[in-house]
Amino acid sequence: MLLIHCPYCDKELPELEFAYAGEAHIARPVDPSALSDDEWRDFLFIRSNPRGTHFERWRHIHGCGRFFNAARDTVTDKFLTTYPAGEARPDISKLTGSKA
Amino acid sequence: MVEITRLPEEARFSFRVAAGGVAAASKAFGVDLPTTIGGMAANGSRRALCLGPDEWQLDAAASERDAVVAAFAGIYADTPHSLVEVTDREFTYQISGEQAEELLTVGVPRDMALVTVGSGTRTLFDTVPAILVREADNRFTLSVWRSFAPHAEELLHIANKEFAAGL
Amino acid sequence: MSAFRIAGKGRVNHSKPVRFTFDGKTVQALDGDTVASALLANGIHLVGRSFKYHRPRGILTAGSEEPNALVGTTRGPGRFEPNTRATMQEVFDGLKTESQNRWPSLTMDIGSVNDRMHKLFSAGFYYKTFMWPRSFWDKVYEPFIRAAAGLGKSPTEEDPDHYASRFHHCDVLIVGGGAAGLAAALTAGRSGASVVLVDEQSELGGSLLSEPSIEIDGKDAWSWLDATVAELSGMANVRIMTRTTAIGYYHQNMVGLCQKLTDHMATPPADAPRERLWRVRAKQVVLAQGASEKPLVFDGNDRPGVMMAGAAQTYLNRFGVTVGRYAAVVTSHDSAWYAAFDLLTAGVKVNAIVDTRAQVDPTLVDSARALGIDVFLSSTVTGTSGRKRVTSMTVAPVTDGKVSGGSHVVACDTVLMCGGWTPNLHLFSHTKGSLIWDDENKVYLPHEKTEECQVAGAGRAVWGIADTLKDGADAGAAAVKSLGKSGAAVTFTVSKDRTGSGETHRELPTDGDPGSARAFIDFQNDVQAKDIRLAVREGMKSIEHVKRYTTNGMATDQGKLSNINGLMIASDALGRDVKQVGLTTFRPPYTPTTFGALAGYHKDGHFEITRKTTIDSWAEEKGAVFEPVALFRRARYFPQGSEDMHAAVNRECKATRTSLGMFDASTLGKIEVVGPDAVEFMNRMYTNPWTKLQPGRCRYGLLLGEDGYIRDDGVIGRLTEDRFHVTTTTGGAPRVLNMMEDYLQTEWPDLKVWLTSTTEQWAVVALNGPNARKLLEPLVEGLDISDEAFPHMSVADCTVGGLPARLFRVSFTGELGFEVNVPARYGLQLWEMLWEAGQQYDICPYGTETMHVLRAEKGYIIIGQDTDGTVTPDDAGISWAIGKAKPDFVGKRSLARPDLVASGRKQLIGLLTVDPKTVLEEGAQIVDDPKQPIPMKMLGHVTSSYWSEALGRSIAMAVVEDGRARDGKSVYIPMPNGVIEATVQASTVFYDPEGARLKL
Repeated sequence: MLLIHCPYCDKELPELEFAYAGEAHIARPVDPSALSDDEWRDFLFIRSNPRGTHFERWRHIHGCGRFFNAARDTVTDKFLTTYPAGEARPDISKLTGSKA
Repeated sequence: MVEITRLPEEARFSFRVAAGGVAAASKAFGVDLPTTIGGMAANGSRRALCLGPDEWQLDAAASERDAVVAAFAGIYADTPHSLVEVTDREFTYQISGEQAEELLTVGVPRDMALVTVGSGTRTLFDTVPAILVREADNRFTLSVWRSFAPHAEELLHIANKEFAAGL
Repeated sequence: MSAFRIAGKGRVNHSKPVRFTFDGKTVQALDGDTVASALLANGIHLVGRSFKYHRPRGILTAGSEEPNALVGTTRGPGRFEPNTRATMQEVFDGLKTESQNRWPSLTMDIGSVNDRMHKLFSAGFYYKTFMWPRSFWDKVYEPFIRAAAGLGKSPTEEDPDHYASRFHHCDVLIVGGGAAGLAAALTAGRSGASVVLVDEQSELGGSLLSEPSIEIDGKDAWSWLDATVAELSGMANVRIMTRTTAIGYYHQNMVGLCQKLTDHMATPPADAPRERLWRVRAKQVVLAQGASEKPLVFDGNDRPGVMMAGAAQTYLNRFGVTVGRYAAVVTSHDSAWYAAFDLLTAGVKVNAIVDTRAQVDPTLVDSARALGIDVFLSSTVTGTSGRKRVTSMTVAPVTDGKVSGGSHVVACDTVLMCGGWTPNLHLFSHTKGSLIWDDENKVYLPHEKTEECQVAGAGRAVWGIADTLKDGADAGAAAVKSLGKSGAAVTFTVSKDRTGSGETHRELPTDGDPGSARAFIDFQNDVQAKDIRLAVREGMKSIEHVKRYTTNGMATDQGKLSNINGLMIASDALGRDVKQVGLTTFRPPYTPTTFGALAGYHKDGHFEITRKTTIDSWAEEKGAVFEPVALFRRARYFPQGSEDMHAAVNRECKATRTSLGMFDASTLGKIEVVGPDAVEFMNRMYTNPWTKLQPGRCRYGLLLGEDGYIRDDGVIGRLTEDRFHVTTTTGGAPRVLNMMEDYLQTEWPDLKVWLTSTTEQWAVVALNGPNARKLLEPLVEGLDISDEAFPHMSVADCTVGGLPARLFRVSFTGELGFEVNVPARYGLQLWEMLWEAGQQYDICPYGTETMHVLRAEKGYIIIGQDTDGTVTPDDAGISWAIGKAKPDFVGKRSLARPDLVASGRKQLIGLLTVDPKTVLEEGAQIVDDPKQPIPMKMLGHVTSSYWSEALGRSIAMAVVEDGRARDGKSVYIPMPNGVIEATVQASTVFYDPEGARLKL
């Protein structure tokens, strides 16, 4: 069971209080009707599924209730960082010393 | 042994407002709403517990219910917010005694050291969503939704017997 | 006094005798004994039969690594447990134990015929034997394998015990209370850090319990131990837990502990849990797990009486028990020499020490000879004899790894063996920490760490008490330093220490036929050295394959004794270096753990949460039959007299359609949506248009996923301009709130609107039927509920019978309907009031089953029953709920996806069986032509099917390919006892299609 730093509560808290919420930084298009079928398909279904650093969303559902973003290593499972929803992707080379 | 008592309902609200509205809301409620998550502040029978960046649990005496509703209605036009009564949504248990903290560890996954006196948080008790408040070193309140209450209360009593058994 | 007990010796309480039984016979024991030590005190070595060959087996070890001495234990009525380690089970008055895997008795076992046919049961036996013919798989092979599988019998009664669990957080968790763990605990404890120290044994001390002659800080080992335990116990910041096994080491220093609380008690306190699972989160973990002694692999190394030398030393020093009268030792390590000296000092005759090494510390050799022990260096053991107890072993000299001379026989009733010591790496391995082969010590050591942990003592091949104490203290200090606290490593002075070294071998050289040798590696799974070699010959190259082919290390001891021996032999057979062959993976739990401990409090009525409404107690009193809906239990129907479900439901349906029914609708999810942008939010979330909905009016709301499929629905009331009362399905409430929060927080954070769950704030009673208004009207104050003033799909605040209420005029039955919401505390009061007042209309309480029938007669869908996550609004025939003028809403773009507008989609339609009496089965598949060859092409399936009392016939809904185009056509439902014909009806509405009854 992981410990997760909630960027809103600013505490390291047990994973049991959190819920996973899919890949991060996939914004809903402002005007979906303007998208082609292929673009819309990509938005709906196509995900990166990397080996290594993954940007993903979590919700502190049994806590402050906020959705936030995280960078996590899918090999070690460990979190590299968490940050509020809406913030830009952090520079992973600074977190890991290597390129994402 | 730990004392487990269900507290009578007073008046409880879920209050939501954007950051800019905190001052006006504090004035309306008569309590400075704490802005640190987990923070708690009180004035007489009125108490505010910050549960999230824009979320507070407001408690007041039952007799003040209508006054609270009216006070917030008065600021709605200038300070849009959401005030929803949830008095009947949950049961609140007081858990007190020497081993109160240890008893809660049967269900609370969070490090109890993070729940300092005078603070509260939403967390889990066993698998039940709950709001835990530490009123004193050895005194807590645990609020759970009404239909979950039998499960949570039963677990408190089962585990309490472990102290009686000395194990 | 038992024959093999030494008066006054050991840590057992000689003034407190205990009696228990083994296979029905009373055994005299002492308080502090384990089952194993007590049996040995009475000269009993034969305690079980082996798994595959039913060979007689004895007690091999004195710890949790024991592979052989597994017994059934009965701790009172219903408290039977198979496969308990006799070496770990403490005795108490009244304990019953029994040997396993034997029939009819331990000494006379029919299954031992397997041993004489052992050549049939070689590695891969199962894979080779149970292949063909295929028809034998179910009828012959499976019963055979099942009968042979396992050692002990499963308990037949329900476990009467209960189990506990807790979370715990601390600065330092120390696993293992031996010398290293104690030194770490002293260091960490004195620094003020919060410390948890656990040990699986009944008391702290580890190997010090078996080595009382060592002196620490000027005291004998046990006095030092007493003082140390007293100091630690006196520290408020230190929690000591004995009989507690660290079973698994998980991410970020989460360690699972299983604490055995009552298994050692004759009369446990009332309400005491049997075991408690701890989930400990430690900032620092110190692993001081120690090491396990490794057997030597030679023919007949499994006979009762052959045991680990260190175990014999433990039985002697800790329990005051000699394991035999005249022993012989075979070793490749110095430690067995000390064991021999201790036994000899205690009066056991030691006939020989056989050491595989040419060079042994001369002081050991000289001491042995001075004590009159025959010493054989550069020698091997080529066999033992004795069926139920060893009687002799055969010794031969070795040169260049081969037997080089004639053998001779050493008489003995006990063989003490020692093949060196294996650091216990299990918990470290759970963290995926890497291991490194230490060629000098021939052991794997912990290498790269993935967690905040220290490994100390014999667990990283630090030997001798002095070095182990220092290593433990250093580990404690390192942990303390990582915490940012100050605390120097505690130092110790040790004298009379017994350090030593040794060698690690594959199977010992023999002059016999290796194919006939019964040289065991894995005692519990009966794996022999030759099985490993066979596996390699048959092509297994990876150690993981060798493990699975031979089952080496796959028993419940997870190869604690066998892994390195297996590895050495495999490495030799493969001709590859040990470090290239590698070790198999250790996985939690460290030792077998009960399901009870893992389940904790979640058993019986507390197995999972059962949510109940405020009206549940009334339903229970009236004899309602319940069904689970999400976590709720809901009244399904209210049988009267001898009614079955159909009779009850028919009556409830009829009463509701003709007069008045009442229904507990409290479980429906409720979300209050409040704020200036509430209507904009609703427009974006739901398919329907909300802007023009006036306050005081309601609308059916349909919620899609972004993929265009139906997720949820419910009636939504607009209370004021800025406030909506949203209802959701019972099971969908948390999902819908989560989805709404997600969009609000992450896509539209600019909207000024907030969401609050009010599901449990309100208790809800639905009144349906032509007399609903007549009942309600006299009770309502502050509201005109006439059809003109309060038409269908209205909402308003009022009082009902004096209770504050939020009243909806809605219907899920097609009848005139109201839903009275009151604050939950009044729920039961409201229900009873309506029940009383409704008697004049023969008011009928109905349950979810009647609700399902009534709504199906009206063709209203149930999410999750008539939809399955791949149904669009058009598929469900409810496109009318889509606000087509809206520029966007969740899922709108997907409704134009090519596959969602394509023809051939399954559409929800009505089905009428040709025989009106036939009620279809829900889930039944539908085909076009029942005469087509199997496998038939499925057109769809029945989603809802009931007997309709109102229509006097069966009705059904189904999703069928191009269903609406089949209006009036026949489809077929093949069932095991015949094909059912039904006619498609494009509309799902069966009853009152004009909706006249709603408008009363």
